[in-house]
Amino acid sequence: MEVSAGHGHAGLMEESPYGIPSGKLAMWCFVLSDAVTFSAVLFAYGYLRVGSPDWSTPFVFVPSILNGLVMTFVLLTSGLTMLAAVEAAKAGRTAAGTRWLWATCVLGALFAAMHLMEWRHMIEEGWRLFQNPLGGAVQFGAAFFSVTGLHLLHVVGGVVALAIMALGLRSGKYNRIDVEITGIYWHFVDLVWMFVFPLIYLMNAK
Amino acid sequence: MTTGESAQGPGMKFFVAVWIGLMCIVGIEVIVTYRHLPARQLLVWLLALAFLEAGIAVWYFMHLKYERAALVWSLLPALAFVVFMMDHIWPDAFRLMSMRLLSN
Repeated sequence: MEVSAGHGHAGLMEESPYGIPSGKLAMWCFVLSDAVTFSAVLFAYGYLRVGSPDWSTPFVFVPSILNGLVMTFVLLTSGLTMLAAVEAAKAGRTAAGTRWLWATCVLGALFAAMHLMEWRHMIEEGWRLFQNPLGGAVQFGAAFFSVTGLHLLHVVGGVVALAIMALGLRSGKYNRIDVEITGIYWHFVDLVWMFVFPLIYLMNAK
Repeated sequence: MTTGESAQGPGMKFFVAVWIGLMCIVGIEVIVTYRHLPARQLLVWLLALAFLEAGIAVWYFMHLKYERAALVWSLLPALAFVVFMMDHIWPDAFRLMSMRLLSN
């Protein structure tokens, strides 16, 4: 286990009650706090939705829900490639680990691109933060763009982190623990989408 | 949960099976949506399926199953407590009592 004791005093340090490296524990703490952030944002969306008598349900199956399904498929598959990267890194197969990290990175970028295309489509239809082209509650745009935007920000951050990790794993700068830590973050991004897709898209299906 | 150092996963075949399971849950969510249930029932169904999906993802994909029990007992009750406080105890939560969803 990596303990940041330093100065040759590692043997005198008490063992971590969790038996994991400090970096991994820090990532779990970040995930916990970020989960609360997303919970608060989704609760806020819930209050807006149930508090508005003329809430719009604009998403038709083609293209919106179908597009959301494909995005879900892409993101869940990126979770699988991330697992493959972690398994390869654990087994010491650095080249394979790097390839799987790049695959995850490409899938994450594809998800972000699809999301941005959907945003563009909605903006062309007249949706804005405080503008509803269907004439219903204007808060729909605010809720949709803020929730999906916060998630998209996490995806883009994750794609950058994955690219840095792939380069670092290949050069030996990062090790299997670092890949595992990045994996926890990436799976969390995946997990958040498991709530965003049903609550934002399916609950607003026409 | 293990009591060992850390995370030895069950291998990729198992994770592929979990991934297929997660995709099936997403499919069920879409099917439930197009049964055109009342908003309250649909919300309950979708939230239940989303929590099931999230639980599977945390347990297997994020490898929490393979960490020490102490980590699980430190993280999950804390998260559940904060979310419960936010949804049921803080003053804004009481506004839901007079909102549209419950009056439908």
